[in-house]
Amino acid sequence: MTTGDEFAHLGAPLESSTSPALRFEVLARCSTTRARASRMHLPHYTARTPMFMPVGTMGSIKGITPKQLEDLDCHVILGNTYHLGSQPGPELLEEAGGLHRFMAWGRGLLTDSGGFQMVSLLKLAKITEDGVEFENPHDGKMMMLTPEMSIGVQNAIGADIMMQLDDVVSSLTTGPRVEEAMWRSIRWLDRSIKAHKRPGEQNLFPIVQGGLDPALRTLSAQELVRRGAPGYAIGGLSGGEAKGAFWRMVALSTGILPTSKPRYCMGVGYAEDLVVCSALGVDMYDCVFPTRTARFGNALVRTGSLSLRQGRFRDDTRPIDSDCTCLTCANYSRAYLHTSVTRETTGCHLVTVHNIAFQMRLMRDIREAIVADRFPQFVRSFMETRFGRTVPLWIVQALQSVGVDLTTPDATGYVAAPIDSDFQKEPNV
Amino acid sequence: MALRFDVPGSGPGGLPAARRGALVLERAGHQVRLETPSFIKYTRHGLQPHLLPDIVAGLGALPPATRVQLEDFLDNDEQQHGRFGGGLHDFAGVDRSDLLVLDVLDPTVTSRPAKSGAKAMAIDSEGGTRRLTPALFAELVDALKPDIVVPPADYVEEPLPSLEHGKRIEKSVTRSAQWLDECVSRISHAAAVFAPVMGSRSLQLRERYAKELAARQDVSGYVFNDVCLALPLEHKLDLVRHSLAHLDSTRPRYMAGASAPDAALRAVLSGIDLVDSSYPFAVTEQGFASDYALGGSDSGDGSAQAAGRLDLWQDAMRTDFRPLVAGCQCPTCARHHRAYIHHLLGAKEMLATVLLQVHNLHVYQRFFVDIRESMARGTLPGDAERFLGRYSCSQDEPGAAFGELRLLAAQITTPTTKIQRQRHAEQPAA
Repeated sequence: MTTGDEFAHLGAPLESSTSPALRFEVLARCSTTRARASRMHLPHYTARTPMFMPVGTMGSIKGITPKQLEDLDCHVILGNTYHLGSQPGPELLEEAGGLHRFMAWGRGLLTDSGGFQMVSLLKLAKITEDGVEFENPHDGKMMMLTPEMSIGVQNAIGADIMMQLDDVVSSLTTGPRVEEAMWRSIRWLDRSIKAHKRPGEQNLFPIVQGGLDPALRTLSAQELVRRGAPGYAIGGLSGGEAKGAFWRMVALSTGILPTSKPRYCMGVGYAEDLVVCSALGVDMYDCVFPTRTARFGNALVRTGSLSLRQGRFRDDTRPIDSDCTCLTCANYSRAYLHTSVTRETTGCHLVTVHNIAFQMRLMRDIREAIVADRFPQFVRSFMETRFGRTVPLWIVQALQSVGVDLTTPDATGYVAAPIDSDFQKEPNV
Repeated sequence: MALRFDVPGSGPGGLPAARRGALVLERAGHQVRLETPSFIKYTRHGLQPHLLPDIVAGLGALPPATRVQLEDFLDNDEQQHGRFGGGLHDFAGVDRSDLLVLDVLDPTVTSRPAKSGAKAMAIDSEGGTRRLTPALFAELVDALKPDIVVPPADYVEEPLPSLEHGKRIEKSVTRSAQWLDECVSRISHAAAVFAPVMGSRSLQLRERYAKELAARQDVSGYVFNDVCLALPLEHKLDLVRHSLAHLDSTRPRYMAGASAPDAALRAVLSGIDLVDSSYPFAVTEQGFASDYALGGSDSGDGSAQAAGRLDLWQDAMRTDFRPLVAGCQCPTCARHHRAYIHHLLGAKEMLATVLLQVHNLHVYQRFFVDIRESMARGTLPGDAERFLGRYSCSQDEPGAAFGELRLLAAQITTPTTKIQRQRHAEQPAA
C-alpha cells in the first residue's frame, strides 16, 4: 500500500482556519471544479482530505486490527455513539482513557450523535423538543436521548470530531415536518455547544439539514455558519432520495459553507458519489457500504463490484484487481476467494481489506489529481472506466454545474450520453 | 524435489522415545527446514483461522509447514482443476518457504456421518457426500502440487458398533492398503507420501500393517489419524507405540488429534515428531486466551496458570486493562488489553477472535520452542512431568485444562454466537 504524503512538496496553504482543536489548511484547489486538497490537523492525527472514513461501529472495523488500518493509510475512523454508549458504556470508556486508548487507535476518531440509530434502529422513537424518546431494547423502559446526553457520551468517548444531535427526518419526508426538524436541529446545536465540556480537545460539527428544500437548506447552512464551528456536516441525505436532489443539496450546502473549513458529507461511500461530491467541494465521507458489502463477498473495483460468490469466478485465476497493491490482490485469485470468501472469517477479512484499500486508493487518486490540477481529467477518466459511454444524468448535471461537461469530447475523445437511471445496473466490464 | 528427515538413529528394540530431528526439503533455489518436534500450521480453506497473511508474518518464526485438508475444496461435483493454477501454494497463498501438507480430513472434526465404500473414501462436504477415489485424489495431487500428501484411507468410525461382531477393522486395513498402492502408482507429481498407519484397536492388525508400511520405499513418513477419535489419550498412545515398534524409525511421524499441549507433550514423549495447531484455534473459538508454558513457574496469577487459559467472557474482564498474559511478547498483548477483547466478544465483533488467535498461536509456538530447548538440555521428561502436574493432567482422564478441542468438536458454532452467549449467561458472575 502507498502511504506517503502526497502533499509533501506543496508550499504554504492557500487559505486556512484555526479552531481550538482543529487547524484546516487548503493546500491546492482545482482550477475548474470546487475540489480542494487540504490538511486537517486534529488532536490525534493530521488527516489529508478529501478522505474516506471507514465505520467501526462498536470500536473495531470488522475483523481488521488497528495496525492494519494504519498500514491501509486510514486517517480517521468512525465510532457510533449509540452503540458505544450502551456497550461498553461511557463510564468504562472514561475509565479506559477514552476510545482511542480503549481500542489502541492513535489516529483520528469521529463519533456520530446517536440520533440516526435512534430513528433507524428503534421503531418506537418519538421526538420531542427535549430530545429523542425511545424504548430501551434491553429492558423495554422508555428512555430519553437529549443533545446534552449525546455530547456527554461523546465527551467520554473522546473522539477528535463529535457530531451534534440533530432531528433526523427521512430525506423522503416533505411538508412542515422538514422545517420543524431544521429549526429544532439548530436549537439542539445551541444546547450541544453549551454542553460540550472539552472544546479544547474535541471538535463539535453542526449538521446542515433542511431535507430536499433549497430554501430550508440555505437557511440552515447560514444559521450554522453564523455560529462559527470548526467544520460542518451535510446531513439528511443518502436516505434513498433521487440522486438529482441529492447532488443539488450537496452543491447548495458547499456553496454557502466557508471555504476555509472542512465539509463532511455523511453516509456517502459509493465511488461515483465520492468523485462527484469531491468535485462539489466536500472533504470528508463515511459509509458502512465498503466493509458491509465485503462480508457478503462483494469486492469493489473501479468498474463497480464483483460478487465473488458467483459461479463465473470459480476458475478465474486473476486477482480482484491487477492494479491493486493490497495484500489480498497480491496473494489471492478470484477463484480462491470464490471458494473461501463467505465460509471463513479470514476469507471475509480478505475482501474487507481489499475494499478499504480500494476506498483509500480512490481518495489518494483524487487528492493527487487535485494537487496536480488535473482533477477534471481524472473525473472524466474515472467516469469512462465506471460507466463507459452512458453516464447517469445526475452525474452529468452535477459535473456540468462545476464546469466539467461529459457530453462534449475531450482530448482523449471520451464523451458520454446521459441516461435516466441513478445507479449502474451492470458492471462496466 | 527431495524431502529428507534428519534424525539420530535409534537402535532396534527399546521403546520409542522423544527425539529431535529436522524435516528438510531442497527446493529449487532454497532449503526448507522444519525442526522437530514441532507442529504443522492448521488451516481452513488454506487460511490461517482468523489471521490474514500480514498478521501471520507479524507473529515471527512459526514452523515452516502448513496443512490443508482436501475436504474443504470438494464441494463441487465436477472438479475443475484449472482454477488451482500453479498449484496449492499459489492458490491458497501459501509461501514457498513453507512445506505444504495435503491431508484429506479436518483434524478438528470428530463426527463424520459419511461411510466409505470399497472403492472410495466418503467425504461430507457442503455440497453433500463426495466420493474420493484414489484416482481422483491422484488427479488433485497432480493439480495441487503439495510437498507432502496423506492419501485417503478407510478410517474406522468411533465409537465402534461393528467391532464386536464383524471384520470392520480388517476391511479397513485391506482397503487402505489398496488405496495407498493405487494413489502411489497414479500420482505423477513428486510429492512425499505420508501414509496413514491403520489397524484401529487391533494390535495384531496394527502390527501387520506397520510391517507392510516399513517395507515400502515409496512411503516417506507416517500419519496417526485413525486413533484421533473417541479413545482416551493414553490408550491411543499405546496403539501408536505398538505401531511404532514395527515401523521404520528413520521416518517422520505426524499424529492428528494430539494438538492440545498435554496431548502433544505425551505424544512427543512417545516418539511423535509432528502435531498440528488445531488446538490454539479451538481455544480461540471458546473466547479464551492461552496461559501455559512448559517451563512456567507456579507463582503469579495462580488461578489462570492452573487452568492454562483465561476466559475473556468473564464479567471480571470488563474493567481489566491488563494484557492477556503479563509479559507476553505477542502483538495482541503488546497493544491491547483484556477489557477491549471482552468488549469485542460481547459485541460479536470478529476482531475478538483475530486478536485471541494471534495470542494463542504465539503461546503455542513458544511451547514447541521450549520443548525443543528442553530436549537439547536433556530435561524433557522432568519438565513434562512438572507441566502435566501443574495443569492437573492425569494419565487416564482429561483434566480441566486443555479440553478446548473436545468443546469445539461438540459445537457447531463459534464464540460470537448464541450458544456461547448462553453458556456464559448461565455461569455465575466470577
